[in-house]
Amino acid sequence: MTKLATKLTPNSDFLSAVRPVRPPQTPRGRRGGRTVASWPLALSLLLLLLVSCSALGPLLRGTAWWWVCAAVGCAVLLGAAVFRRLGLPRLIVPVANSAVLVGTMTLLFGGGTGLFWLIPTPQTVSIFTGLIDAGGASIVQQSTPAEVTLGILFLLAGGTGLIAILMDLLAVTLRWPAIGAAGALVPLLVPGFILDEGADTAALVAAAVAFLLLLRVDVSGRRARAATHRAMGPRVPQIDRSERPRGRGPMGGAVLVGSLTIVGALLLSTVAPAFTAGGLVTARPGGLLFGSGVSPMINLGQDLRRPKAGAAFHYTSTGTEQPYFTLLTLDEIIGLTWTARVDGADVRNTVDAIQKPFGLDADVETVEASTSIVIDGVNSHWLPAPARASSIEGLTGRWYWDSRTRAIASVSANALGQEYTVSSLELKPTAEQLRQASSDYPASVVGNLQLPVEPPSIIEETAREVTAATTSNYDAAVAIQNYLRSSAFSYDTEAPVEDGYDGGGVGVIGMFLQEKRGYCVHFASTMAAMARTLGIPSRVSLGYLPGVKSQDREQGLGQYNVDSHDLHAWPELYFVGIGWVKFEPTPGRGTVPNYERAAVADTPNAAPGGAGATGAPALSPDRLEDDTALERGAATQTVESSNLLGILGLSTLGLLVILLPAAARRMLRGSRVRRIRSGRAGAGLAWTELQHTSLDHGIPVPVTETPRAFAGRLKSLRAVDPTAMEALERVLLAFERSRFDRSQASSDTLADDLTLALRGMHSGASLGIRFRAIFAPTSLFATLAAVLRGERRARTIAP
Amino acid sequence: MKLDPTRSSPPAQAVSGGNLRELQDAGRAIMRNVETVIDGKHEAVQIALTVLLAEGHLLIEDVPGVGKTMLAKALARSVDCTVGRIQFTPDLLPSDVTGVSVFNQAERRFEFKPGPVFANIVIGDEINRASPKTQSALLESMEERQVTVDGTTYPLALPFTVIATQNPIEMEGTYALPEAQRDRFMARISMGYPDSDSELAMLDSRDTNSPLALISAVVSEETLRDMMLTARAVFASGAVKEYAVNLVRATRDDRDLRLGASPRATLQLIRAAKAQAALNGRDYVLPDDIDSLAVAVLGHRLVPTSRALGHHHQDSGPVIADIVRRILADTPVPVGVAASDQFPSESFESAPSPSVPSVHAVSTRPVGSTGAS
Repeated sequence: MTKLATKLTPNSDFLSAVRPVRPPQTPRGRRGGRTVASWPLALSLLLLLLVSCSALGPLLRGTAWWWVCAAVGCAVLLGAAVFRRLGLPRLIVPVANSAVLVGTMTLLFGGGTGLFWLIPTPQTVSIFTGLIDAGGASIVQQSTPAEVTLGILFLLAGGTGLIAILMDLLAVTLRWPAIGAAGALVPLLVPGFILDEGADTAALVAAAVAFLLLLRVDVSGRRARAATHRAMGPRVPQIDRSERPRGRGPMGGAVLVGSLTIVGALLLSTVAPAFTAGGLVTARPGGLLFGSGVSPMINLGQDLRRPKAGAAFHYTSTGTEQPYFTLLTLDEIIGLTWTARVDGADVRNTVDAIQKPFGLDADVETVEASTSIVIDGVNSHWLPAPARASSIEGLTGRWYWDSRTRAIASVSANALGQEYTVSSLELKPTAEQLRQASSDYPASVVGNLQLPVEPPSIIEETAREVTAATTSNYDAAVAIQNYLRSSAFSYDTEAPVEDGYDGGGVGVIGMFLQEKRGYCVHFASTMAAMARTLGIPSRVSLGYLPGVKSQDREQGLGQYNVDSHDLHAWPELYFVGIGWVKFEPTPGRGTVPNYERAAVADTPNAAPGGAGATGAPALSPDRLEDDTALERGAATQTVESSNLLGILGLSTLGLLVILLPAAARRMLRGSRVRRIRSGRAGAGLAWTELQHTSLDHGIPVPVTETPRAFAGRLKSLRAVDPTAMEALERVLLAFERSRFDRSQASSDTLADDLTLALRGMHSGASLGIRFRAIFAPTSLFATLAAVLRGERRARTIAP
Repeated sequence: MKLDPTRSSPPAQAVSGGNLRELQDAGRAIMRNVETVIDGKHEAVQIALTVLLAEGHLLIEDVPGVGKTMLAKALARSVDCTVGRIQFTPDLLPSDVTGVSVFNQAERRFEFKPGPVFANIVIGDEINRASPKTQSALLESMEERQVTVDGTTYPLALPFTVIATQNPIEMEGTYALPEAQRDRFMARISMGYPDSDSELAMLDSRDTNSPLALISAVVSEETLRDMMLTARAVFASGAVKEYAVNLVRATRDDRDLRLGASPRATLQLIRAAKAQAALNGRDYVLPDDIDSLAVAVLGHRLVPTSRALGHHHQDSGPVIADIVRRILADTPVPVGVAASDQFPSESFESAPSPSVPSVHAVSTRPVGSTGAS
C-alpha cells in the first residue's frame, strides 16, 4: 500500500471545524418558503375579491372594467403571496404590496409617463389627480348604469387594489381571514346604497360561497401548519397519523358561525330594500329618468353628459313635421326652481279619454298626426308623446294624463318596453295669428306668470333690452329666441356644472345670462323666465328632440331613432286662442319653429333650409339630420380606426409581455453558460442553472435533498438519453467536488456538459411542460428574490 | 505507522488515488468473501465493513438464526488477524472477558493471562445474555481500548473491533444493554430475514457443510491498518459536518424522542461516512454518505417516547428508523458556498495550488440514500 500524502490542509480539525449551527428551524420561524406563501389562502382571497367586484355589475355598463379590477387584484394578492414565498418579512409585505399597486396603476393609467412605465413621476401624479377628479365628476354626473369612463375605471381599479391590500394585510399578515374578508363587503354593499333592489342575489351568494371557501382554506392551512413537522406517508407509525386532529375541531366552529352569518346576511339583504324604499337610505333613482321629481333638469343634464348615448325609442309619424316628444312640463317656479305643479298623475284622467286641447280657436290650422312609438330605453313613469295628444292606444298598464300640462304619466307602470300609437294635433298658427293674440289670459294660465319674490334683476333688464323694439308678445318672444341663439351664447353641457350653476332655477338664470354658456335647460328656462317678466305665460317642457332618420322604413313611413342625447328642454309660451306654442332658444339644437312660413306654405318640408322670417340661424330638420349623421359617422370611423390601432398596440404589448420572461430566462442561461465557459464561475453556477431549469420544468428543488439524490430524481423523472445522463453525472460530480472536496477542481467540459444535460432534460419533458419552462420560467422569481436581497446573482438553492 | 485511537483529531493528510483504489479493491474482496456465506444482505455487509474500516464497534441485533454470528465470523475470517470469540452467558464473569492474573508457582508471582478481548476482532456473541457486570467489562475495554487488571493496564491490540450480536430485548433470559453502553457501538444493524430466493439458495449451498470453513482471509492485518488510515484521511467538508451536526441536533429536539444522539454519535457518524466514502472510491464525504448511514449509526442511541412507540412496545427498531428517516427528510442539506463561486478571480490566485487528484470513477451505483427518498 502506498504512503499517505502528508500535506497539511487547513480546516481539517474534526470538531472545531464544525460551523456554528443555527438554531433549529421551526416552520413558523422560517422566512419564506411554501408554508408561508400559503397560495390557497391568497387564491381564495382573490376569488372572494373578484366575485364581490362583480357585484358592482348592475351599476356599470359593459364588463371591461371587471377585467381591469381583476388584473389589479391579481397583481396585489398574488404579488403578496410571491413576496412571502421569497421570504420578505411579513411586515414589509403590505408596503411591497402598495408598491405593486402603484406600479400597476402607473402601468395601466400612467399613459407611459412613469419611469420604465412602472415608477410614477410627478407627471403621473398629476395625471392621477386629474383622473380622480374626472372619476368623481363622472360618478356625480351619471346615473346608473353608468358609462365607465377612464376616471371611473381608475377609481375602481385603485379601490380594488386598496381593498386587496387591506384583505391581504388582515387575512394573511395578521391571520384574521374572517375580518380580512370584510374588505370584500365594500363592493357588495355599494349597489345596495345606490340601487333600490341592491346587489344581485347571485353575486351575494357567490361571494358567500367564496367567503366560506376562504374560511375553509384557512382552517386547513392552520392544520397543515400545525402538522408540518409531523411525519406523513404510509411508513409513518400509526400513532403519528392518529395524532392529527380529526373532525371539525375548534376551527369548525368558526366555519359554522361564518355560514350562519352569511345566511343571515342574505336573508337581511332580501328584506333590506323594504327599508331603503321607505326613505331610510335615500337612493338616487337608478335608471328612472326624472323619477323622483327632485330636479328633473339636473337629471336631464346628467343624461346629456353621458359619454355614450343609449337608445331611447324609435317611431314613425304621419305628421308633416317631426314632433318634439314631451315627457313632462315644468310650469311653476317654487322657490327658485322650476317644478311641475302637479307632480303625479290625476287618477281620474285615464288616457282612454283625453280632452281636446283647451282654448284653441277654430281658425288655427291643425293637422291630425299619428305617431307609432316603440320604447327601447326610456325607464320612466313619464311617457314620451308628441304635444296635444288626443288619444293613445296600445299602452299596457294604467296611464293618466295631466289636465293642466297634458303630460302622460303613470303611478305603477313604466314606459320601458311600451309600444303605442299616439294621435296628436300639430298646431300650425300663422305669425299673424300669434301677433294678434290678446293678452286676456284665462285664469288657469295666470299661474304661469308667477316669478320668484326677488328674481335677479338681470333677467328683466335683459328681456326689456332685447325686446325694446317689439310691439307684440310674439315678436318679443322671437326677439328673445334670437338673442339666445345669437353667437353671444354658446352651447356647453359641461360649463354650468364646472362653474356651479347647473339646473334651471331662477338664481341660475342670472348666472347664465352673465356667463352665456350652458345647455338646453338653461336656454329654455331663461327664455321662459324672461317671457314671464314681460307678462307672457310660459313653461318649460322636458322631452326628446325628433331624433335621426334611420335606414329602416315601416309601412312607407320613415323611421326615426331617438337616443338619450336627444333629451331636450324647450320653452312654451301661451297665446290666447292658440294655446301653448313652443320656441327653440337653444343654439344648435332642435328646429326653430317657423310660424311665419306657415301662412304661405302648407307643407313645411317643402321649404328646406328656410331661415324663417325671424332670420334666426335656424337649422332645417334635414340639415340637422345630415349633420348629425355625418358627425356620428365620422365619430364611429375614428373610433374604429383608433380601436384597431389600440388593439394592434395592445396585442403587440401583450405579446412582448408574454415573451419577456422567456427572453429574460434565455439571456440568463446564456450568460451563465458563458461565465462557466470562460472560467469565471464554477460548478456552483452550473448547479444553480440546473436547479433553476428544474424549477422551470415544475420539478421541486427541496433544500432537504442532497445533490446526488436530486440528480437521481431528475434521471428517474425524465427519460433522459444516455449522453445527457452522463453529462448530468459529470455536472453533479463537478458540483460535489466543488462543495465537498478540499480541492477546487475545475472541469473543462463543464459548460458543454451543462448544456447537454439541460437539453436532455428539456427534450425528455412533455410538450406542456416544455412550453411552461420556456414561457413561464418559475426560476425567474428565485433570481428576482436574489436581486431583491441585494445579491448580484442567484445562489444555489440551499438552506 | 501507529494508530492512536485516543487522538481526537485525525491526521490531516490527503489521500492519494492509489491508496483509495487499493482500499476499494480490498473492500470489494472482503465483501465478496463475506457474501459467499451471507446471501442477499448486501447493505448489512457493507455497513459492517464500513464500521470495521472506521475503527468502530458493530452491534448486530436480530432474532436468532438469521446469520448474525455468521456475519461476524465471516467478517473476522476475511481479515488475516487475531480473532477472539466470547459466548456470553448469564454466568460469565468479567475476568472471562478481560483475562485473569494467575499465580505462577515457578516464578512465584502473578502472571496475567489475557482474555479473549485481546484480539484484533472480538466477536461477542449474544452479548445481552451476560450480566451487566460482565457486559460493562467488555464495553469499558471497547471505549478505552485497554484493560486494567489488578492495577496493571494492558493496551489492547490494534486494530481492535468488537462485533457483538444480540437478540432483541424481548427474548427470554436477556439483560438489555443500558443506553450508555449502546452508545459505545458505532452502528447497529439488523439482518432481517432473507428473501425467498436467498433462502432457497441457502438451502442448496449450506445443506451439509459449514460455509465458514470455505472462507479464508483475503486481506492482511497490515492492509487493514492501511485501509483504516486511508479512510481516516478522507475529507469531510464544513458543509457535511454541519449537516451531521444539524441531524444530531434534530434528534435531540424531536418530540418523538426521549433521548437524542450524543456528540459521540456525531463524531462516529462522520467517521463512518468517511469510511463509506473511501469504500466508494471518494476522498471526500458526501451528504449522501451521512444519509445512508444515519439509521445505522444513530438508531440504537435514540430512545423514543412511549407515545411514539405506541403499540410497538416490543420492538422499537422500526419506529426509530422511521423517526430518523423523517428527520433526514426534514433537515436541509447545507451545500455551502464554494470559494470559487464567490470570489472567482482571487481564489485562483491565492489558492495554494492544491495537488488536484484526478477524477476518480465513482461507483456506478449511486450511494443509497435510504432516508432521504
